[in-house]
Amino acid sequence: MRADIIAAVKQGMIAIVQLRHRADFMRRRCGWLRLLPLALLASLSGCSGHQLRLLHPDGPIAATSLRLSVIDVLIMLCIILPTGIFVAISLWRFRAARKARYDPGFTHSVRLEVLMWGVPFAAVAALAYFSWRGVFLVNPYAPTALGQRKSLLAMPDRPGTGNPLVIDVVATDWQWLFIYPDQHIATLNTLSLPAGRNIEFRLTATDVVNDFYIPQLIGMIDVMPGMRTKDMMRADRPGVWQGFSADISGAGFSWMQFPTRVMTHAGFAAWVAKTQVAPRHLDYAGFRSIARPTIDLRGVTRNFSAVQPHLFSRIVHAAVKGATDTTPMFLTEHMRRDLARRAPYLSGYPHS
Amino acid sequence: MLVHLQGAWNPWLGRLTLSQIPYHSPIVLGAFAFALLAAAPIVGLMTYYQKWGYLIREWITTLDHKKIGVMYIIIGLVMLLRGFIDGIMIRTQQLLADGPRSAAHLQAVHGYLPPFHFDQIYSSHGTIMIIFAVTVVLTGFQNIIVPLQIGARDMAFPYLNAVSLWLTAAGAALVMISLFIGDFSHAGWVGIVPLTELPYSPGVGVDYWDWALQLSSLGTTLGALNLITTIIMMRAPGMRWFRMPFFTWATLSTQTIGLTAFPVLGVALALLSCDRYLGTHFYTAGLGGNLMLYTDLFWIWGHPEVYFIILPAWGIMSEVIPTFSEKALFGYTVMVAATLSIAGLSWAVWLHHFFTMGAGPGVNLVFSVSTMLVGIPTGVKVFNWSLTLYRGRLRFETPMLWAIGALFLLLVGGLTGMMLAIPAINYTVHNSVFVVAHFHTMFLVSVFGIFAGLMYWFPKVFGFRLDERSGRRFFTFFSLGTVFVFAAMYTLGLMGMTRRLDYLYNPHWQALLIIQEFGIFLYCVSVFYFCKMIYVSIRDRAKEAHGQDVWRTSRTLEWMTLTPVPFYNFAVIPVVHGRDAWAMRRDSGLTATSPGDYEDINLPNNTIVPAMLGALAFGFGFGMVWRIWWLAGLSLLGIIGLVILRSFADDRGFTLTAATVRRMERNHEDTGIVTDHISPPVAELALFQ
Repeated sequence: MRADIIAAVKQGMIAIVQLRHRADFMRRRCGWLRLLPLALLASLSGCSGHQLRLLHPDGPIAATSLRLSVIDVLIMLCIILPTGIFVAISLWRFRAARKARYDPGFTHSVRLEVLMWGVPFAAVAALAYFSWRGVFLVNPYAPTALGQRKSLLAMPDRPGTGNPLVIDVVATDWQWLFIYPDQHIATLNTLSLPAGRNIEFRLTATDVVNDFYIPQLIGMIDVMPGMRTKDMMRADRPGVWQGFSADISGAGFSWMQFPTRVMTHAGFAAWVAKTQVAPRHLDYAGFRSIARPTIDLRGVTRNFSAVQPHLFSRIVHAAVKGATDTTPMFLTEHMRRDLARRAPYLSGYPHS
Repeated sequence: MLVHLQGAWNPWLGRLTLSQIPYHSPIVLGAFAFALLAAAPIVGLMTYYQKWGYLIREWITTLDHKKIGVMYIIIGLVMLLRGFIDGIMIRTQQLLADGPRSAAHLQAVHGYLPPFHFDQIYSSHGTIMIIFAVTVVLTGFQNIIVPLQIGARDMAFPYLNAVSLWLTAAGAALVMISLFIGDFSHAGWVGIVPLTELPYSPGVGVDYWDWALQLSSLGTTLGALNLITTIIMMRAPGMRWFRMPFFTWATLSTQTIGLTAFPVLGVALALLSCDRYLGTHFYTAGLGGNLMLYTDLFWIWGHPEVYFIILPAWGIMSEVIPTFSEKALFGYTVMVAATLSIAGLSWAVWLHHFFTMGAGPGVNLVFSVSTMLVGIPTGVKVFNWSLTLYRGRLRFETPMLWAIGALFLLLVGGLTGMMLAIPAINYTVHNSVFVVAHFHTMFLVSVFGIFAGLMYWFPKVFGFRLDERSGRRFFTFFSLGTVFVFAAMYTLGLMGMTRRLDYLYNPHWQALLIIQEFGIFLYCVSVFYFCKMIYVSIRDRAKEAHGQDVWRTSRTLEWMTLTPVPFYNFAVIPVVHGRDAWAMRRDSGLTATSPGDYEDINLPNNTIVPAMLGALAFGFGFGMVWRIWWLAGLSLLGIIGLVILRSFADDRGFTLTAATVRRMERNHEDTGIVTDHISPPVAELALFQ
């Protein structure tokens, strides 16, 4: 039984993969499709390329999530499609004008009632099985998807090499600081990673909650002040992806993007070496000035070398002890004539 | 002052200064002009026809559950319009602020709204739509219909019912006044901590949100108490549990949720208020506070609230579909079991709103499975509705169209809901517009249910039908708008677009944003047809007038009363002999008989006290928001004093004699007019006589 289900799901997934290949083909061959007024359908069919970021994962974590989505949708469609069709047919067949068979006494049927509880129950049981598998596969603290080879749920690729690279992520109001504790370097509003190696993020925030998210690589995880969360991932191939905050954190939230550059092993080593001689250094005092509320309108990035050891722990402990970077009134919902006063807090604002 | 405040404060006006009136913001000025334009003709007409006295005697002071329900629905629809305008502004901003090259207007960096304004708009959109529009309209329906369906003359506590209404109105008034005096919250309708703490929200916006929610949640809790008692105690003779109309069952489940969940919201917000006013550290990041505590408390209320909104809508669908299928509801007992189990499960799923907060796999899995379990009774309901259609004789009048629309929306919402219930999938779409599209699909099930109920029961309450022609167009454009807006939004979610963005960094989203905006345009057209429908119906009300049972195939007791329903509901309380009591009577040809004997009817006097309590509650809220301590203190003392004073009032109501009832009912038989202008006197007026 279980094998049957898995086989059916596999078939469905193969079909979907083929559809995606076809969509890629369409995208290459028929750019004119963009012009169709039905841009909605066009983008669904993949004509706007890899913009459907959740359907184009580039790492095992995101790939596992996608596979579970496909399985979930297939199982649910087994119930929802027949029900929808049944309703549509009933609406057509039993409309008053058609004078079809009318049976006001048909209001109860034990057999049907057993079926109507049983079918959703079976579906939920199946989904619960996959939820159970999934919850460990992408568990932020120790995702088993990173260690697996080819399987139904995990992405078929090479397992990661070497020790995981540890990166400390700090969300301030409203910028991102990435600290590489073992390399003693840090970057502001940009993230660099090696491909093929497991990455372990330790995350905290200075003031309010944000969500850390890179759609093609890693799902969302809350970044909270005074606490640390963890998340792990691996990127399959070099490239540039967009990471950003996904949880409202105040006025600068909409500008909290960080480009994520995934490099080859050699490229990453070269980048680290280069950054280790960057002229800017970072200690705790320097960090506090970064943590001052700043709306990063221009996408300013910085590299730091000689980062103070244990900076991450120090930031967490400071938050626990009550350190806050108070948001000035004119950077919150307050809309009075304070534009000139806002300017120093806005990087790249036209008036500054 | 126990906390550090940014900005000025003085003992007389608190934080209120003239600069808090945003007269230099063209958008707020426009809103003000719009509000004036909308209010001016109403005020003018009321004055011209000298209706203010009528308004106070017959409406403001009323304890009649039907009038209270109508006022709930009017407040809810006004707030629905306000929330809709907020929605238009959100999506238009996103369309205009897409990509780094997008143009800037009105002091914004991109689009026309700076984040300082945009954040308030989406926060008020969510707060209004959930707390002050959908919840309020549905409460109105339950107020009107439940006593009629169970054969009662009023609610168990008519006075408390009016208090609930005016507390809700005070909350809604606070939200509305925040538009013109000060600001509204910028932290989303959920009020994420520690963003709502004083260091990060130093203004009054969060306080407006806080007190508006507090007042309305108090009103809702009292309302829940009232409806539960009514259903348990006030049923007509013979109305056993399993003879109750299904909408009454839905109400019982809903209000049980309300009674247990809303106090949690009260506590969550009270602790937040302690942080903001007294300087405590319940939810702060440091100094011993824990922000996760708020998230838990909020969603322990927040998720049951979702079912508080959806269950009554499903109840409405369960009345409308049988009526227009000319068949009893399929599997009534199973439907009751399903509804009760959904209500029960609603308490056990709250953690699925924050799978990403770092809980371990075990915890996430438990809540994942409990969430999916909700899908079982929900599936049962869908099957029962479709089997009710099967072998029926379907008539597609407007209420039925809305109910069918809701049924299909529920299928879409169920599909995406099951995806979100799986943590491994949730991680990728949590806080994306995919989630936004999902819960809008579910709320729209509610909204479709609301419009089904509006079309269905409007003739019962007002005595004439709503215009079918413009009603159909309203439905068509609303449904098309829904398809365009939310198909685009689901796709944007898969493209990785997240919520609450004032500026969108990805220009590739433009095409879908345009489709969304087109859908919103269709919604606007549908609003036009809604207004036209109301106008045409009132204009042609004589032509559309009708007797007790306008649909001719309705099944429950409310259709047995005269139309429009007289203020005493039933001249003689009916005896119930089975499920679908009215359908039974119709099938046995007992609809035209009138009772031989009438009896004296005792009804409560009207009273101004609940409206005064509402006004004082508003004064209290406003005083707390601006930290005008004397105003808040005096209002609170006023509330306490008034409640004590009222408890001494020896108000035994008034009696409608059997002879009067007989005259009124006979008069109706001859002329079709129900009352000869008798209505309950205002209790306080007796003091002056």
